Amino acid sequence: MLAILGPLSWVNTHVLRLGRSLGWVALAIMVVVILLQVFFRYVLNNALAWPDEAARFLMLWMTGLMAPSAYRWGGFVAIDMLPLALPRAAGQMLMLVILVLSLLVLLVGVKHGYQHTFGFGGRFDSSSLRIPLDWVGLETVKLKLKYMYASLFVCMILLISVNIELILRSVVLLFDPDAELPHDDAPAILQAAD
Amino acid sequence: MLAWFLPVFLVFLMIGMPVFFALLLAPGLLLQINGQERDIALLYRNLYNGMDSFPLMALPFFVLAGELMNKGGITTRLVEFSQALMGHLRGGLAHVNILSSILFAGLSGSAVADTSALGSTLIPAMERNGYSRRFAAAVTAASSVIGPIIPPSGIMIIYAYVMGESVAALFLAGIVPGVLVGIGLMLVVRLMADKYDLPKAERIVTPGQEISRLESGVAFVLLRLNLAGLLAGIFALIATSLATVGIPVSVNGWLVFLVFLPIAHLLLMRLRRTVSQDFRIICKKAVAPLQTPIIILGGILIGIFTPTEASAIAVAYALIIAFFVLRSMTLRDLPATITKAALSSATVLLIVGAAVSFKTVVSLSHAPEHMASFILGLSENPLILLFLINILLFIVGMFLDAGPAIIILGPILGPIFTELGVHPVHFAIIMSVNLTVGLATPPMGLVLFVASAVSGEKVESIARAILPFLAVEVVVIFLITYFPAISMTIPRLTGFVQ
Amino acid sequence: ADYTLRATANSNENDEDYDGLVVFKNYVESASNGAIEVELFIGTQLCANGAECLQGVADGSIDIYISTSGGAAGIFPYVQVLDLPYLMTSDRIAEAVLQGDFTRTMRDMALADSDNMIRLMTIGNTGGWRNFANTQRRVQGPDDLAGLKIRTVVADLPQELVRALGASPTPIPWPELFTSLQTGVVEGSKNGITDIMGMKFPDAGLQYMTLDGHAYMGALWWMNNAKFMEMPDELKMVVNDGFYALQQATFASPKRKSIQAYEDFVAGGGDLYVPTPEEKAAFKEAAAPVYDWFKANVDGGEEIFTALTEAVAEVEAKIAEANAMDLK
Ligand code: NA
Ligand code: NA
Repeated sequence: MLAILGPLSWVNTHVLRLGRSLGWVALAIMVVVILLQVFFRYVLNNALAWPDEAARFLMLWMTGLMAPSAYRWGGFVAIDMLPLALPRAAGQMLMLVILVLSLLVLLVGVKHGYQHTFGFGGRFDSSSLRIPLDWVGLETVKLKLKYMYASLFVCMILLISVNIELILRSVVLLFDPDAELPHDDAPAILQAAD
Repeated sequence: MLAWFLPVFLVFLMIGMPVFFALLLAPGLLLQINGQERDIALLYRNLYNGMDSFPLMALPFFVLAGELMNKGGITTRLVEFSQALMGHLRGGLAHVNILSSILFAGLSGSAVADTSALGSTLIPAMERNGYSRRFAAAVTAASSVIGPIIPPSGIMIIYAYVMGESVAALFLAGIVPGVLVGIGLMLVVRLMADKYDLPKAERIVTPGQEISRLESGVAFVLLRLNLAGLLAGIFALIATSLATVGIPVSVNGWLVFLVFLPIAHLLLMRLRRTVSQDFRIICKKAVAPLQTPIIILGGILIGIFTPTEASAIAVAYALIIAFFVLRSMTLRDLPATITKAALSSATVLLIVGAAVSFKTVVSLSHAPEHMASFILGLSENPLILLFLINILLFIVGMFLDAGPAIIILGPILGPIFTELGVHPVHFAIIMSVNLTVGLATPPMGLVLFVASAVSGEKVESIARAILPFLAVEVVVIFLITYFPAISMTIPRLTGFVQ
Repeated sequence: ADYTLRATANSNENDEDYDGLVVFKNYVESASNGAIEVELFIGTQLCANGAECLQGVADGSIDIYISTSGGAAGIFPYVQVLDLPYLMTSDRIAEAVLQGDFTRTMRDMALADSDNMIRLMTIGNTGGWRNFANTQRRVQGPDDLAGLKIRTVVADLPQELVRALGASPTPIPWPELFTSLQTGVVEGSKNGITDIMGMKFPDAGLQYMTLDGHAYMGALWWMNNAKFMEMPDELKMVVNDGFYALQQATFASPKRKSIQAYEDFVAGGGDLYVPTPEEKAAFKEAAAPVYDWFKANVDGGEEIFTALTEAVAEVEAKIAEANAMDLK
């Protein structure tokens, strides 16, 4: 079990680190985009069309890239009174059942995410976002919505990867409560505060 | 068949499944059993669409602004300021805890943030001052629900988003109810102070504090601008009311403001002579942080920015203050702080999306229509129905987080009461305040868990100690319900509600 | 029922879309003798905008959906031909065009672009015609629009039009428009009268309206193609007739609803200006660059533009002929 958990945990640690780096940058750019919108509208008196959609684009990707880390570190809101109140083994079993049911949701989700992103709807043109290929002498291309839709699809895939890691951790703990588990990369501040 | 969505959902929730998964699994399972596989696509699409919204963007921005302020050491300033004002009363630190929450509410939109930020400073301080840890944690949890009632408010952003109301109107309507909850809690502390002989505290915690030239100057200017603005605003209100009775007063807003500027200066200089040096510095140090709610509300009121833009401005302001005025942050702190805000907003946004998909399946089952006719069958008197709904909401708030509860129940309950003549903004406040109080009730009381984590006290014992405070909050809920003027006066006066 | 049709409209029960759906439901359910049941979902219960809802129509979770031209433009850009200014000059012409082969041309284009998943059933009306309204002054010709900040949706065509007329297009979300007019962030908008009065825009200072009728507010009624094709021919006919009845209802409803709205606008001190034929011609001339822009920049633009202008010419000739006989 640990033979699979170790590498998976390593992969999750590194992939999610990259996700978080992109995610916080996305949030920072969102702020800049909205401030630009305010500046253009009120100071230059020239409203821009794209900030609304661009900021939503970034928000969706921020969510998709950040949420898996939150899930890995126990940041998904749950009433965990019952699993904690049960005897250790029973509580651990219940946790496992919950994780497997969640995996079910994610697997169905990833299937629909694929259709959502690569199916008919993804072919819609964004109403205001363009890839300015005219800067390099080509024609400007409207961004397809699939690049926005992919945020949730990617989120589902990352959540599955985290979920499997959590299941493995849970199984290991079920048989050996004192097992040495790989580090989950959670920073100290997060564990302390929330 | 689909009518089982709620019980099944609650079972998943009670066994400890994360809200996000329970919101998707319960309806998904029922659709599958019911042979409606094609509608599972609807579930997925609405998860995405539920998050894809411009007004919702105010959520991560306000969280980020709160994180930046917190990192900037602003919490301590607010607590010291509150203590300088109320520390000398009996039950001093309990009052300070409540007042800090009212002030902190103007910077943050979440009760959880309030509990963790204020709790970590105030609970140990109260313990040292002779309070039981249980009581300290209870006061912290009870007062933190003010956070999302006074603007900015994550819950009201969500309400406005699902119900198509104006965020600005809801924000303005929340001010008085939030202060009222604070006053109610202070009354409880006052009564307990007599009964249990609660201690007083020093007004000045750390005497001889220093303030940088720049910050002092910024506070000097801001104080005068705000006071002059306030006086000019009052003058404008009087002028408009005179105009409605037929006495036309035509005034240039900027001119009035300029006239009031020296008056404000003179008033402040007078005030300055009556207070001690230490008191003055502590007050000055609270000016920059407390400017945040004024920027947010002022900007929305004057109409220069939308609530989402206001939230981005709040982030910019927090950055400027933290980097240049307080110099409490460096560029190196920035990624970690933004990451923290992004992590917590991502989970909230996912839950919002999942709640929107859950709501969609509720609609497919025609449950809203059945529920509406059931409720209207109970009584035709809106006052009685409001009473019943408050009880329902209170029970729902015990089990469900405020955001999902609003997304699922708002579209069902809102139209019923609007039809009965309750103003939509008034109903929004009733529902938001009620569900916010639910954050401090077990078993799903998030702030109880946070207060427990911060204080090290058991959830059960905090839950018992919080009962008198909850009782007062219930009274305030009914006051808000039966006296619409409490919430509606400010939005009416400012023209955000006709 | 053998077939249950799930129909959704993003508007509310006061809207002409709802009137149309009620007529459709009533007709189809009784004419099919109960073989078809129609379930209505009004508002954003199932989906909230054109991209989402049309995807629902494509995957079959929604059977019938009404979109505006803006709502469908992301995937069928040529539907914006209805937003081209001053091509159809009256309800009578527009209604005749939309009942003819023009709609079939558009249906074929949409079927081809959606891999035969989305079928255009009919085109009705939602809200009458778009007119220019502003907070500043009476607008008699394009010159009077110069420099005004006009609110548009985030879409190319309306922005091109506003720019062509010398005004400056400003995208503002619909719920924020009231405050934006009040505070001068924008100085005008292009909407139908019922929307203007429904949102109480005159209270925000929108007091000058010019009935230039620059765009027909077409309502495009879409259906999941598989759902339609799987029905036996007699039920297909029932559904088809149902959409005819729906179309007629949505043609009539805005006309009835706008009477009160115009009265209220004038009663509230609003200035309602009807441009003369010469002034209308000046508007049309100023807007001409938009036609070229449309043909050059919109996929299928040339084809649909030709289809519409030919249909209009044909209808105009027929109506002129009919009028000549009626006046004899
Ligand atoms: Na707040
Ligand atoms: Na507090």
